[in-house]
Amino acid sequence: MPTWQDFQPFIVAGLALGGIYALSGVGMVVLYRATGVLNLSFGAVGAMGAFIAYSLIHDHGVPDALGYAVCVGFGGLVTLVYGVLFGPPLAGRDPLVKATATLGLALILLGAMSWIWSDKARSMDLPTSNSGFLVGQVQVNWTQVIALSLSIVLTVVTAAFLRYTNLGTAMRALANDREITATLGVPVRRVEAAAWLGSGLISGVAGLLLSNLVGLDAATLTFLVISSLAAALIARLRSLVVTLVAGLVVGLVTAMVTPILSISQYRDMAPFVLATVALLYLSGTKSATAARGSV
Amino acid sequence: MFALPPLFSLYWIDVFTASAIYAVVALGLSLLMGRVGLVSLGQIAIFALGAWVAARLNFGTSIPFPIVLLIAGLITTLLGTIVGLPALRLSGLYLALITLMLAGALTVVLTATNFPNGGHGFLGHTESSFGSTAVRRPALAESDPGYFRYTVVVAALMFGLALWHIRSKPGRAWAAIRQSEPAALAAGVNITLYKLWALALASFMTGVAGGLLGPSVGKLYTFQFPTRDSIILLAVVLMGGIYSLWGAVVAGMFMKLLPAILDSLNLPADLLTILFGVGVLQVLLTAPAGLAAQFPKDLARLWAALTRAFRRGAPAQERAH
Repeated sequence: MPTWQDFQPFIVAGLALGGIYALSGVGMVVLYRATGVLNLSFGAVGAMGAFIAYSLIHDHGVPDALGYAVCVGFGGLVTLVYGVLFGPPLAGRDPLVKATATLGLALILLGAMSWIWSDKARSMDLPTSNSGFLVGQVQVNWTQVIALSLSIVLTVVTAAFLRYTNLGTAMRALANDREITATLGVPVRRVEAAAWLGSGLISGVAGLLLSNLVGLDAATLTFLVISSLAAALIARLRSLVVTLVAGLVVGLVTAMVTPILSISQYRDMAPFVLATVALLYLSGTKSATAARGSV
Repeated sequence: MFALPPLFSLYWIDVFTASAIYAVVALGLSLLMGRVGLVSLGQIAIFALGAWVAARLNFGTSIPFPIVLLIAGLITTLLGTIVGLPALRLSGLYLALITLMLAGALTVVLTATNFPNGGHGFLGHTESSFGSTAVRRPALAESDPGYFRYTVVVAALMFGLALWHIRSKPGRAWAAIRQSEPAALAAGVNITLYKLWALALASFMTGVAGGLLGPSVGKLYTFQFPTRDSIILLAVVLMGGIYSLWGAVVAGMFMKLLPAILDSLNLPADLLTILFGVGVLQVLLTAPAGLAAQFPKDLARLWAALTRAFRRGAPAQERAH
């Protein structure tokens, strides 16, 4: 059995990864609440942004900071364009159809990425990863600190935004009933566009951080969305704070299993198992129709 | 199907075999989506499980091949039912996401255990390339053309099974559920039973298809079942059309025949992934019945336009309208 010493480095790695899961989860929950769309292309958008930033920085000599800004901006732009083009025509359809449509975008981006950047393995190096400090005997780098603190800050800011601003209130109204909100004079499309843009920017940030912490690989980054989705699902696509906590827990559990050799190779199952158990447990008392009405 | 083998090289026959196998996988998903209105994003994982079970039985026992297929189908059915029973209480979106999660978990397990390749023990996997042998084929279909015919017969049986279900009581119950669950409930349809039945049937077909895959490719690896394939499967099934069984045939060809054709033209297969993405959006926005329904309509429209044009002797520009 591994000792406490063996676990320590993985706590840091787990919290950093969990921070990004939480970040992505918050981005998806905000969009889902405002527009009813579960954006399954979240990971692909971020990954594409990271690839573009990488190739700008390494092949075209663009300053690093500008490259990172392009990554985040690309996430916002693509998501916004998708939302403006395909959001309204699909607005009246089932949540399942809306989520399926975003898989179309994911496939387009995934195909484009594997086509353009399939030649060699890449890894994004952020300047924040090269310096850090020691906590006890564990090396912590600044990227990990940023990932964790950003997730907490973003959750608090978003929750406050939804509660205290007019735009946030409009988004919460949309989450309840799109038709009635429109009747009350809320510019529905503009509010939805704001949600798409915000969620897209978050996907860009998540993509940038993940490409450093996990590696720059199209398929891996695209399907890491499933792990982040686990956090959002545990929160039933509703509570931002629960998403944050769930994201951190998922990241921690996944990383903490690593030193236990007998189950180490099964560690990537953690998000899926946690999400499945949580979903089945939370839905335990509801009938099919009640569950549909409320979610 | 008997004319095809002499006309094509062995490479293309293998491609046709793969198309037929994936048509059965697509059939399972298209039944779920088109008939009952359930979406599963984990069909490729079930497919992989079927392939694993069949390969293990093929190496470990001398059970006749059709029985191996049947057992592979039944074990995946069991899994599909176990997954389905609690998940059916959730709404459509949540069910789809749970299947995605479980598929992810299953893929992690398969990555850790690998596929049987003639080794010892329960997992039947050996790391040494010396010990690894190809999955055996049925005695009456040792050659590639022979196995192609065998696959088509099994696939046809699966399509027959699907047709039989659609035409009889389960099909009517599914139609009622798809239209409106409360109405179906009021009409006395046992919703849980028939949804579960559909999941079990789809899992069975997918499992049998998995059993067919091993002998077709010889050696099985986890990378043959990437998560991306579950999404692409959904895309091709939507593009093929979920309301007609022909849609599944089209989907199988999209998934395996088109990449081979692109490859022979020296075009990157990633183009196809992009095309599938566009296809999903297009189908969801404008043509919910998919290509299998859209194409005959387009042909009919073209035919009508052509006949009209010839009757009038109109110039070519007008035909375009």
